[in-house]
Amino acid sequence: MTEQQPDLVKGLSAEDAAGVLSLGQRASLAAGAVLFRLGDPAECVYLIRRGRIVLTLPMHIGGRDEDVVIEEHVPGQTLGWSALVPPHRFTLTASAPLATELLAFRRVDFLPYCAAHPEVGSVVALNIAALIGQRLQVFQAMWLRQMQRAVSQVHA
Amino acid sequence: MEMFLTVLSLSVVGVLVSGVLFAVATRDARHAEAAALDPIAVPDEERFFILRPAQRVRHANARIPADVLVLQIERHVRLEHAAAESFLQFPSVEALHMRTLSPLAR
Repeated sequence: MTEQQPDLVKGLSAEDAAGVLSLGQRASLAAGAVLFRLGDPAECVYLIRRGRIVLTLPMHIGGRDEDVVIEEHVPGQTLGWSALVPPHRFTLTASAPLATELLAFRRVDFLPYCAAHPEVGSVVALNIAALIGQRLQVFQAMWLRQMQRAVSQVHA
Repeated sequence: MEMFLTVLSLSVVGVLVSGVLFAVATRDARHAEAAALDPIAVPDEERFFILRPAQRVRHANARIPADVLVLQIERHVRLEHAAAESFLQFPSVEALHMRTLSPLAR
């Protein structure tokens, strides 16, 4: 993992961060392995310790479906927050382009821990809200840029 | 009278032969002229001052293999992602519509 505090536990004391991270179960992925697929039930949030995870969406290109990389995550970053948000289904496919190590936080462990430690839980919840908000804002801007180009083409 | 009819017949035949030869000789020129008026009539033809952007793009895309197109799309997404993140760092109208190097954004 990086020297920086992982985004999931940002703002927590070392002791509280260690408490949260102790909930994670170590998992390893070989290069090319799929972590989860679009539509799968989302049971875990993942924190990358080593390696890399790419998130893809399928596009229909040249008569066949191709997985197009739309995001790349590096050590210290969290992904899979669909596990905390109903309907608990992944909306992207995640895979490891190289050997990768993760911490997997099961929802059934994570939420009760946050409920039992409300001060820690509120910081973690804000961290996850920041991740979701950042994703929303980035894709909102990307959508608007694409719409602007479509409009410009129509009025060219 | 006979001589007059003979000359008339030969003249008519001469006019017909000339007409046929003229039509054959000018057919290629008419096709080329029609092509210049209709940009889509002659595919892959290159001429000065004739613009066929839509047709050229269609042919270019048809030649790109799917794998190469996926790489182009992924590069486009990375550049757009970076542009969007840059906009979020310092939001402004100019930053929102900042151009990237992606060929898919033109």
